[in-house]
Amino acid sequence: MNPTDDTNGNGIIFNIQKYSVHDGPGIRTVVFLKGCPLRCEWCSNPESQATRIQLAYNTGRCLGLSQCVRCVEMCLSGAISRGEDERIVIDRALCAECTRDCTSVCPSNALITYGVRRTVREVLRTVEQDSLFYARSGGGMTLSGGEPLMQGDFALALLREARKRRIGTAVETCGHVQWETLDEACRLTRTLLFDLKHVDPARHEAGTGVTSTLILENFRRVMEHHPKLHVMVRTPVIPGFNDDEAAISAILDVLAPYPHVEYSLLPYHRLGTQKYHFLGREAPMGEVKLDDKRMASLSRLVAARRG
Amino acid sequence: MRNPECCEVMTPHEQRLFDKMEGKEDRFRAGHSRVFTILESFEGLRPRIDVERAKYFTESMRATEGQPLVLRWAKAMRHIAENISVYIDDHQLLAGRAGAQGRYGILYPELDGDFLGLAIEDLPKRTESPFTITPEDARVVVDEIAPFWKGKTYHESLNLALPADVHKLTYDDPEGLHSRFIVNETSSFRSSIQWVHDYEKVLKKGFGGLKQEALEKLAALDPLSPADNCEKRPFLEAVTIVCDAMAIWARRHAALAREKAGVETNATRKAELLTMADICERVPEHPARTFHEAVQSQWFTQMFSRIEQKTGTIVSNGRMDQYLYPFYEKDMAEGRLTEDSALELIECMWVGMAQFIDLYISPTGGAFNEGYAHWEAVTVGGQTTDGRDATNDLTYLFLKSKREFPLHYPDLAARIHSRAPERYLWEVAETIKDGSGFPKLINDEEIIPLYVSKGATFEEAYDYAVSGCTEARMPNRDTYTSGGAYINFAAALEMVLYNGRMKKYGVADLGEHTGDPCEFKSWDDLWNAYVAQHKLFLKTAFMQQHIINNLRARHFAQPMGSTLHDLCMKHCLDLHTPQIPEGINLGYFEYIGYGTVVDSLAALKKVVFEDKTLTMAEVIEALECNFEGKEDVRQILRNAPCYGNNDDYADTIARDIDQLSVEYGARYSKDLGMHNDVRYVPFTSHVPFGKVVSATPNGRKAWSPLSDGSSASHGADVNGPTAVLLSNFSSKNYGYRSRAARMLNIKFTPKCLEGDDGTQKLVSFIRTFCDLKLWHVQFNVINRETLLAAQRDPEKYRNLIVRIAGYSAYFVDLSPDLQNDLIARTEHGTM
Ligand code: SF4
Ligand code: SF4
Repeated sequence: MNPTDDTNGNGIIFNIQKYSVHDGPGIRTVVFLKGCPLRCEWCSNPESQATRIQLAYNTGRCLGLSQCVRCVEMCLSGAISRGEDERIVIDRALCAECTRDCTSVCPSNALITYGVRRTVREVLRTVEQDSLFYARSGGGMTLSGGEPLMQGDFALALLREARKRRIGTAVETCGHVQWETLDEACRLTRTLLFDLKHVDPARHEAGTGVTSTLILENFRRVMEHHPKLHVMVRTPVIPGFNDDEAAISAILDVLAPYPHVEYSLLPYHRLGTQKYHFLGREAPMGEVKLDDKRMASLSRLVAARRG
Repeated sequence: MRNPECCEVMTPHEQRLFDKMEGKEDRFRAGHSRVFTILESFEGLRPRIDVERAKYFTESMRATEGQPLVLRWAKAMRHIAENISVYIDDHQLLAGRAGAQGRYGILYPELDGDFLGLAIEDLPKRTESPFTITPEDARVVVDEIAPFWKGKTYHESLNLALPADVHKLTYDDPEGLHSRFIVNETSSFRSSIQWVHDYEKVLKKGFGGLKQEALEKLAALDPLSPADNCEKRPFLEAVTIVCDAMAIWARRHAALAREKAGVETNATRKAELLTMADICERVPEHPARTFHEAVQSQWFTQMFSRIEQKTGTIVSNGRMDQYLYPFYEKDMAEGRLTEDSALELIECMWVGMAQFIDLYISPTGGAFNEGYAHWEAVTVGGQTTDGRDATNDLTYLFLKSKREFPLHYPDLAARIHSRAPERYLWEVAETIKDGSGFPKLINDEEIIPLYVSKGATFEEAYDYAVSGCTEARMPNRDTYTSGGAYINFAAALEMVLYNGRMKKYGVADLGEHTGDPCEFKSWDDLWNAYVAQHKLFLKTAFMQQHIINNLRARHFAQPMGSTLHDLCMKHCLDLHTPQIPEGINLGYFEYIGYGTVVDSLAALKKVVFEDKTLTMAEVIEALECNFEGKEDVRQILRNAPCYGNNDDYADTIARDIDQLSVEYGARYSKDLGMHNDVRYVPFTSHVPFGKVVSATPNGRKAWSPLSDGSSASHGADVNGPTAVLLSNFSSKNYGYRSRAARMLNIKFTPKCLEGDDGTQKLVSFIRTFCDLKLWHVQFNVINRETLLAAQRDPEKYRNLIVRIAGYSAYFVDLSPDLQNDLIARTEHGTM
């Protein structure tokens, strides 16, 4: 692909969120790309994990089978059946080869797909709508996910096109990606949001499915090869995983040589649990909550060590 | 903070509510103890009706029948000034009220006295905004006041003057006591639309000086000219009488202050009363010399203006940070004043304002202004007459007062321009974050060029003052008109669906016969039918206005207001004169239900004519049964493109609708000798207007509120605040000048505004609002109560987005358990 004209390149996204104010500097639009190499138990965007387009069902919005049976009638594979409480039951295994658009008949958006294929041009057209706000606030586009760099060509093409349109960019990464892609993203982006979840490889693997080795190696290389890049490191504080002084201290040790890096903690919240249910899954973390006192003491630790 | 352990954000406004719940003293009370004490003396009291103004006004008018109206009015003002009870409240530093102590409203029988009998029975029982009245006062109204006005009120004249085809879209009964809420006239519940006086003139010249000017003009009249003798002389005499009335009224307060000082045992209060006595002897007759004198002079003027006539939403305060500044600066330099003592005086004014209630006695007026709302705007910031930034120390003091003193009054309006200093926007943003919704923002970059194009000089336009809810006035150039029509365009839409009829009014033929909608072959057919109804409504509104403009001068005069107006004094004409030479008459008509109509048309276009998911017959069947058992149809309609999302599909329709109005205004305003321009500012009227409109194709249920101002339909703006601004921008026709205010309300969650970073983002947002040349914006910071309401009524709050780093979802999509979690956390600002 010719890197200067890849606006017809496309990828799968699951949301474009305007007026985001917690995902980089200024007023931003976040483009959520689908697909992630990690499987964090606490993920608040479970719809981001698989790269493929997925069927989701929001029981709260469903009108109930006495009012509407449109999707049942639409489905020819027997994947949708009548369940209890007026709700439908979906056997997603039967959807694999299906090309019927059952979500289009749902009047209330109870049945939706997570994920839609969009070209670079289409995404940027939406992103550019808020360009005046970016110009005034120092904001821009943030690529998030999932892991945006998993759809590497698409992500890089988005960054190039944003640059051409003079839109500021940020990339949010889990770090578990090919170095070449990350390296190129660092060249293109204005801000990098890098998640460090745990330093210990085994603990990291237990919580996310992969070890921390590649992530820490990539972090070190970013620091080495892109010393001037604006980097913000974030740690989601997860009960039972890293909500202890030792875990956070270890991350602070990694960051110690890099005083220019901004660091913040993101307290765990369980607002994603609903989306697991929409996908027909149980939320792995259940009802666990983060202890406010612990969170506060970790915040103090960070403040003490990074000023 | 409630739980200092944790990183939480409460708006100071919420903090205050919690403190109150826990019985703690307001943390700002110590610094403002005088005004808190005054506030507590009337907070929560039910307002009462004070009849003295109406009684003395009627007495005088009875005695002067047949004389020129402006002269009669001036004499009535003097009669009131001589006789009405005067009060000095405990702890107050400012003298002057227009009625009894506590919260009160006064009557204007010349306007709508034909409602009085009904109202006296009704007002105490009214569910929204009830009033009490003493039995003796009720007797005075029924026996002395009402009988005199029978057959003479403005409202009765108007009712008789409207041609049948206009009347049937205006009133629901032959007497015109009840509105149809279709093309609703508003001129009969206020003598004029909102207004601002040139207070600076009073402070500089005093009414004594203004009287002198009138005397000189009288001396210069041509003694042989019939016009000079019959027209100018009565006007100028009226000016001298009303200037005298002001001095008389003030001196009676001086006497009372001295009398109170005589018996006062507390030495500090005694000294205060003696100072007040000195000041009331001096102003407003003479120019003010100190800050205290200036504030008192302004207060007398605005209170007397309230006595003189019922100005729509109450007369506004103008650019207070500008005209008070020279006094402030001088007193500070000479050590007579401190920031705290200046603040105390200003806040004494705020608590005075809070006690005067804008009483609407007609049922329609009451429905328009629920919750005792009044909008006596105080303007801060903006530009000087030569286009430089105008902020000063007083500007910041007003903003500080708004942060520290928990009162809805005054209605603080901050002018924003492209070169507004960062500190100003920062403090404005911090004040908004406080959570009480103030200040509202008004955009110089829209208003100034627009007013210049309407005929003002740059100097005049740069010096505009915010007036009422969202308007801008040039107190010496613009002349006002009566309140214009509030037009229910959702009713026009309903008439398209039922061939000129409305469910509410049964078989009455009200609109154009645009045919059976099920026969419409295309979107164009539907659009043309809407255009026909829209134009009928506009024609009706403009005919109303034509009649009103000419009727008004026969019923109202405003000698004091005219004294303060350069053009009235120059041409010796009362401000109510339909055409004042050199004046620019800035009126408007109101578009009610913008979002409702746009979304309904967009839904029909998409669902019926493009996707063909439903037929017109299916839609109408669902509307006729108010979607009972047709929730699926409602959902399909509701999920069509909506205004407020920066979606071209809906916004293009919005702009086309706006264009119908601006084009009509550009063409026919000339007939009225005024600018009768389209405006989108409903007060609370979208609620009563909704009560006559059955179910609409945007999924709105019958009789529920219409959309508000130029904001999106309830919950329809699901793309966040930037999209709301951009839709507003896209739907405007910047090529026309026949546009007036647009009101826009935006909600923010506290988390979005958290910390300095949040303030900075709000500042950027405000700058972009300014860049986009939108007219007005006001922010609400969402609090716990909002979320509880969203839980109860998810439909209305479906746009509420939970924004957390890397995550977002709609609040109403969360399970009740998670919603409760968020409600608990809102106090901590995680939303
Ligand atoms: S995707 Fe196909 S198989 Fe699956 S539920 Fe929808 S229609 Fe049925
Ligand atoms: S089409 Fe939608 S509303 Fe109807 S039953 Fe299926 S999920 Fe529920």
